[in-house]
Amino acid sequence: MKKYWRSIEEFEEDSKIEKLPEPEFPIEGLAEYEINKSGTTSRRDFLKMLGFGIGFVTFAASCENPINKAIPYLIKPENIIPGNANYYASTFFGGNDYCSVIVKTLEGRPIKIEGNELSSITAGGTNARVQASVLSLYDSFRIKTPLKNKQESTWEEVDADIIGKLDEIAKKGGKIVILSSSVISPSTQSIFEDFNRKYPTAEVIYYDSVSASGIIEANKKNFGQPYLPSYNFDKARLIVSFGADFLGNWLSPIEYTKQYSKNRKVSKTNPDMSRHVQFESTLTLTGSNADYRIPINPSQEAGTILNLYNRIAQKAGKAAITAPESTVNVDSLANELWAAKGKSLVVSGSNDVNIQLVVNDMNYLLGNYGKTINMNRPVYTKQGIDGQMDNLTKRMEKGEVEALLMYNVNPAYDYQNAEAFTDALTKTQLSISFSDTLNETAKLAGYVCPDCHYLESWNDAQPKRGVYSLTQPTINKLFDTRQAQESLLIWSATGGTTEAGENKVENLVEEDAYYAYIKKQWRSNLFPKQLKYAVFSEFWNHTLQAGVFTVSSVADMITRSNYPYVAVYSAANIADCVLKLKSPKAGERAIEFSLYESIGIGDGRQANNPWLQELPDPVSKVCWDNYLAISKTFADKNRLSLGDIVIVNDIFELPVLIQAGQADNTVSIALGYGRSSAGKVADGVGQNAFRLVQSKGTRLYSGNDIKLVPTGSNYILALTQTHHTLHGRDHVRTAMLKDYKENPSAGNEAHLIAEEKKQSMYSEREFKGHRWALAIDLNLCTGCSACVIACQAENNVAVIGRDEVRKKRIMHWIRIDRYYAEKAEDPDVYFQPIMCQQCDNAPCENVCPVSATQNSKEGLNDMIYNRCIGTRYCMNNCPYRVRRFNWYEYANNDKFDYNMNSSLGKMVLNPDVVVRTRGVAEKCSFCVQRIQEKKLGAKMENRELMDGEIKPACLQSCPADAIVFGDRNMPGSEVSKAFANERNYFLLEEVNTRPSVGYLTKIRNTESKKNET
Amino acid sequence: MKFIISLIAFFLFTTSYVEAKSETVLTRDSSALVENQVTLDTAKQNAKRSMRSPAELFKSCARCHSIGRGKLIGPDLAGVSARHSGEWLIKFIQASDSLIASGDTAAKRLYEENEKLPMPRHDYSNDEAKSLIDYIFFETRKLEADPNFLDNDFSFAHPSNTWPFIIGVLFILFGIIDWAFLKLIRFKFIHIILILAGLAISGKAVTEEAIYMGRSQGFEPDQPIKFSHRIHAGDNEIDCQYCHTGSMESRNSSIPPASLCLNCHNVIRNGPNTGEVEINKIHEAFESGVPIEWVRVHSLPDYVFFSHAQHVNVGKVECKECHGEVEKMGRIQQVSDLSMGWCIDCHRTQKVQFDNEYYLSYKQHEDILSGKISEVTVEEIGGLNCQKCHY
Repeated sequence: MKKYWRSIEEFEEDSKIEKLPEPEFPIEGLAEYEINKSGTTSRRDFLKMLGFGIGFVTFAASCENPINKAIPYLIKPENIIPGNANYYASTFFGGNDYCSVIVKTLEGRPIKIEGNELSSITAGGTNARVQASVLSLYDSFRIKTPLKNKQESTWEEVDADIIGKLDEIAKKGGKIVILSSSVISPSTQSIFEDFNRKYPTAEVIYYDSVSASGIIEANKKNFGQPYLPSYNFDKARLIVSFGADFLGNWLSPIEYTKQYSKNRKVSKTNPDMSRHVQFESTLTLTGSNADYRIPINPSQEAGTILNLYNRIAQKAGKAAITAPESTVNVDSLANELWAAKGKSLVVSGSNDVNIQLVVNDMNYLLGNYGKTINMNRPVYTKQGIDGQMDNLTKRMEKGEVEALLMYNVNPAYDYQNAEAFTDALTKTQLSISFSDTLNETAKLAGYVCPDCHYLESWNDAQPKRGVYSLTQPTINKLFDTRQAQESLLIWSATGGTTEAGENKVENLVEEDAYYAYIKKQWRSNLFPKQLKYAVFSEFWNHTLQAGVFTVSSVADMITRSNYPYVAVYSAANIADCVLKLKSPKAGERAIEFSLYESIGIGDGRQANNPWLQELPDPVSKVCWDNYLAISKTFADKNRLSLGDIVIVNDIFELPVLIQAGQADNTVSIALGYGRSSAGKVADGVGQNAFRLVQSKGTRLYSGNDIKLVPTGSNYILALTQTHHTLHGRDHVRTAMLKDYKENPSAGNEAHLIAEEKKQSMYSEREFKGHRWALAIDLNLCTGCSACVIACQAENNVAVIGRDEVRKKRIMHWIRIDRYYAEKAEDPDVYFQPIMCQQCDNAPCENVCPVSATQNSKEGLNDMIYNRCIGTRYCMNNCPYRVRRFNWYEYANNDKFDYNMNSSLGKMVLNPDVVVRTRGVAEKCSFCVQRIQEKKLGAKMENRELMDGEIKPACLQSCPADAIVFGDRNMPGSEVSKAFANERNYFLLEEVNTRPSVGYLTKIRNTESKKNET
Repeated sequence: MKFIISLIAFFLFTTSYVEAKSETVLTRDSSALVENQVTLDTAKQNAKRSMRSPAELFKSCARCHSIGRGKLIGPDLAGVSARHSGEWLIKFIQASDSLIASGDTAAKRLYEENEKLPMPRHDYSNDEAKSLIDYIFFETRKLEADPNFLDNDFSFAHPSNTWPFIIGVLFILFGIIDWAFLKLIRFKFIHIILILAGLAISGKAVTEEAIYMGRSQGFEPDQPIKFSHRIHAGDNEIDCQYCHTGSMESRNSSIPPASLCLNCHNVIRNGPNTGEVEINKIHEAFESGVPIEWVRVHSLPDYVFFSHAQHVNVGKVECKECHGEVEKMGRIQQVSDLSMGWCIDCHRTQKVQFDNEYYLSYKQHEDILSGKISEVTVEEIGGLNCQKCHY
């Protein structure tokens, strides 16, 4: 059996001595200071409390029942039935994440985000940040009125001021700049153009905090198109990625996860899967899923790519170029790539244009264009050209920019040279921020015209050429905010001299000006590009309902899809690229660094979201902080251990985490932390690693001039993986693809043994109706943690904060367990989502003294909060450690100042699920509220339930479709098929708990154990 | 169903619009006077444009007349519309002198009876005069109205245990005091019996109180509008689901929105018992935009999930099985105690509507087909499972 371990510390311990880990509940579950505190309770205190208690209960009992009011609508909106949810299609876009979504609203307030299955891009998938975005709507830090010089103001005043100043600047020919993050909304772009028509000195500059400038500029050189291409991971049999975390953060992770998982689904009938090779320095989510993962330092990346390029160029009959020596032998990889011509895909996460040019050429030589890469469906989600932003800062410093309008950007936080930018900002005459929170940049702006949250907004989106979607408001504006587009419409339509743009928009400046504008745009631009609807209103209503629209007009297809790729591609001078790439000098051992986005926080724009802050990073399992990830060798060499605080580049201090699989000489830091003005949750959490970003034409997120000075002090990170004990058991089972092909139950032999030995002292339970069950394909699960946040949103799971997480009290009903296996330098990584296993012979039920947890007739393990008295026997007896205990009242408690203590934050709560009180245990219920809802729906329609109709929150959020749920009693249901699969096994099946959750073994497409490719 | 009602309503309106305001139609057929907004609204608007309100008009009458408070200068107007025809009254109001002069006997008699003081002419239009007569009619009815129309002749509140408790305590006290000090009773076993009986009586009282603690059976609060289910659901036989629309499709049966009340009360401006006052509250709320804050009577704790659709639509449970005879209630009262025991009792015995095709996959279905069992109770499909209602 493989040896599994969860952290470097455990790996070390195990090799020395078999030691029992620290108990999960240290001395009655109390922390040390709590024990000391409680030790002082005397007999007299006890009697006092007893007396008070009896007195209080008597008093309370004599009180009248409270009078509740029932306030019906005055006029009930036609489509709203109180108590029934309504669903609206909309679009989320922020940073990396474009996602077509369905918003669940109850009595007019959005409470949950789901993926839109009609979308051709995300196809129903979501990720953690999309799931959490609904909570950002109810962020108390949002700006409530327009601000003028940080003072509350009115829209009339702000508008008059701004129009006056803009006119004045325009009259004297002063420069006006709209600094915006990438805009995928065609209507917004058109509004920018209108603005430009009104103020001809205006110009738009796109700036992305995490940019893809390298790829965009490379494509401009190769194809003449400054865009990202569409990648088709589903068509690639061999994926080679150099540091591109495409399952986690790179460009369009939800889309790529969907595609990737299509190719990773193995079955007896289709026992093939793609092979994935990852070269990277930080152990990312993508690297964790790779079949082969080779840790390399950032400085080795160019060498490795060039060597691989040379091998392929040779095969293609091109002349080799001089390349630095590669530390990794890439011969066999080159052979494999060449064999998979047209069915392979090479991607690089580097932002260096030269590397991207080499990668492009490699893909070209491999014939991947038109097959796994499509330049004819350019992707617009990243448009920022880094040089333009650097240039802008310089121009601002010189005082050449008179007015700066900032939309969706926060350069005072995420620009590498933030000080220069903020200094330069003071030299502008007029600075306007459209930020919806008073973030680092908005604080410095003269005027803040707060934008609406996307759930309050109208918008459209074109993430990919020809693929459109709409954003529609799902709630009335909570505050006195106004969409940035509407502000621009107003500013460019009134006052000043008559311009061409004025007539176009003058009638639109009213209540829903931007809505009318979008409709007008769609009527003239998109309505003619479809053939299905003859009337615009019909087209509009159907598109709005579906949320998505793909241009499929015959004309468009003919002109575009036969576009000759090869002719368009013009190769860059690779030799020239090589010269520009800095090769590592021999013997240079400077410490290198690599910056990455974490799964929860991303680039930090949603940092004030407590759900995301408390989401443990799937790989490191740390939440509430960023840290310095170092390798084992590096730690040994510098005598560092977990939590040791190190000063980085004399700028900030960070604790150390020894990360298995980390490249030897590289330290990694997550971006997005260290916000200083994001709100009560994010302020002061972690350190801002954007300050380490280097600018060499493009922004580089890695480098080699980092200085580390240990301070000698230690910090306790909120780490969740070590909360539970492993006892040397194999919770994940795995097999190599070639073994699986020979024997479908390869790696799952233990299941056969357990089935053979299966006997029980309990009588077999009979399920006359439904028998709910859930199966998880470990081969598809990427560990992305969308399910964790989805579950949190659906089930009102409390956020408890860093201190409580350190005490192992995290409340998540579903957790992603991460296991390492084999070598510490380069481990195999496994993810395993664990929720309540809903056992038939549930150990928790037998020990409950008050029967607060019982088995239902449908195979669920019911938990009854108001019967629970908090003995926690169930938690102790649960072998899966899925039960959570409410140590405190987490709602209405100002000590837990996250979202459940204010009426605004509580608006996100799901009324179908009880908010648990102090002193009760809780756990996953298989989303019983959804089961009941769908059952009722079927009964009302007088029909049987359909397979797959019931979707627990985790399943619905999953971008990889790794989870299936259904009725085990229903013949032919997906879940009964999964349970019959040879790969299926149950956790700890030897203890005969008979769980209702099955796991399908992880299959790795490797030839043999751990060899260098 | 609704469609048929509206058809009937439309028919009734087109044939009897003239009489629509007369009292007989209002009481007998108001269940049918449902949605006929278009005709009504336009009629109302036309009338409104030229008309002064009857209450305003009556101010002039009040100088000489009262309604129900006896004769002033002129006769008491209570019940005047029963004494004279509407046509006659209009003529008399507009120009009593010409009516007298025309030799009308009734007019002449009145003239004689009232010391030959002629009623001055009024420039009221026919419609205005008609509305004034209606006004007087309803004001008269108010006198006849039952001031206790909201009261119920039943109460489901549990009897108070205060007296049994006090008596029990007195028994105990007497037993102890007599045993220790007074010694009136010679045999000690009588003391013991007294104390035990006292304990039993007070104990029973305490237990019952404890069981009813937190329950609100018999709860019958005053509501912001004196709304009577007896008049609406009883006398007028309006279907429960006409107002409580959610009960078939949602967890909430939902209190109707004010706009739904106005479906009828756009026309019916006067109630038999409260006249315009209570009905006006709906109009006020509607116009001011401040919703009506009803006092919630049937209230389940947050940790209970209850769906009306499941029970009413799927389970075919009659409303009155839980809510009692609402059609006999003036003020709405909570009939069932809504305790968990009460729920469970029903789940144990209630038959499932097993002909619903939803249950085709259930194994009990085969048993029914084979005749092994004839029915399935809610309990047998998991109706007692905790997570049926608590999650």
